[in-house]
Amino acid sequence: MSWSGRLAALWPRAPAEDEEGTEPDPRFTFANERTFLAWSRTALALVVAGLGIVQLLPPFPGVPVGRHLLGVPLIVLGAVLAVAAYSEWIRNQRALRRGEPLPRSVMPWVLAATITMMAVISAIVVLLSAAR
Amino acid sequence: MTPARHGGDPGKRGPGLSRERTSLARERTSLAWMRTAISFAALGGAVLKVNVVTGLIILGIAPLIWQLGRISSRRPPADGMPADGMPADGMPVVGATRIRLITVSVVGVSLLCLLIALFGRGVPTALR
Repeated sequence: MSWSGRLAALWPRAPAEDEEGTEPDPRFTFANERTFLAWSRTALALVVAGLGIVQLLPPFPGVPVGRHLLGVPLIVLGAVLAVAAYSEWIRNQRALRRGEPLPRSVMPWVLAATITMMAVISAIVVLLSAAR
Repeated sequence: MTPARHGGDPGKRGPGLSRERTSLARERTSLAWMRTAISFAALGGAVLKVNVVTGLIILGIAPLIWQLGRISSRRPPADGMPADGMPADGMPVVGATRIRLITVSVVGVSLLCLLIALFGRGVPTALR
C-alpha cells in the first residue's frame, strides 16, 4: 500500500462512503455541519485565548511558568476539540443515515471540566503571584 | 428508521414548504461557514501581532474556508441539470472532504500557535 493509502486508512470512513442507510433529510445534514462548525470555532477561540495568555499577558511575578501553565493546555485542548468534533460529525451523520438514535456526546462535559480546571489553576496562579 | 430524519417526511407537509425550510437551513449553514472564516481571520490578525509569517498563513486560510462554505449555498440550476458534485435535487454531496479540511486547518493552526507559545518571544506590551 502506498503512503497516501496508509494515510487515508487512518481516517475514519466518511458517512457518504458508508453504503448502509439512506441520505437523511438535508436539514439534519446541515444542522450536523453547523454543529461541527460551532465546535471548530470553539476550538479556535481556545487557541487564541491560549496564545493571548502566553504571548500578550505580562509575566506573573513569582510564578515564572504561570502563563505557559494557563495557555498551553488551552491550545492543546483546541486541537483535541477539533479532532473530536470531526469524529462526532462522522458518528452523527452515520446515525442519521441509518435512522439510529444520535450518539451521546462527551464534548460538552470535557469542555466544561477543562474550563473549570483552568479557572481553578488561574485563581491559584493569581493568588500565588499576589502573595509574592 | 426514524422517518422524520429522512427526506420523505417533510414532503408530506408540502414540497414548497419543505424546499423553503431546506433553503433556510442552507442559508444558516452558509452563515456558519462565514463565521468560521471570520474566526480564522480574527485569529490570524491576533497572531500577526506575535508572528507575522504565521499570522499571514492563518489569514490566508480564511478566504479558503469562505470559499468552501459557498459550496453549501449553491442552488440547483434553473434547467434542473445537476452541477458538479451536486445531485439533481440541489443538495451538495455530504462534504466529508470539506469537514476534513477544516479539521486539518484547526489542528495545523493549533500546532503553529503551540510552537509560538513555546518558543516565541512574548510581547506583553502589545496590549498596552
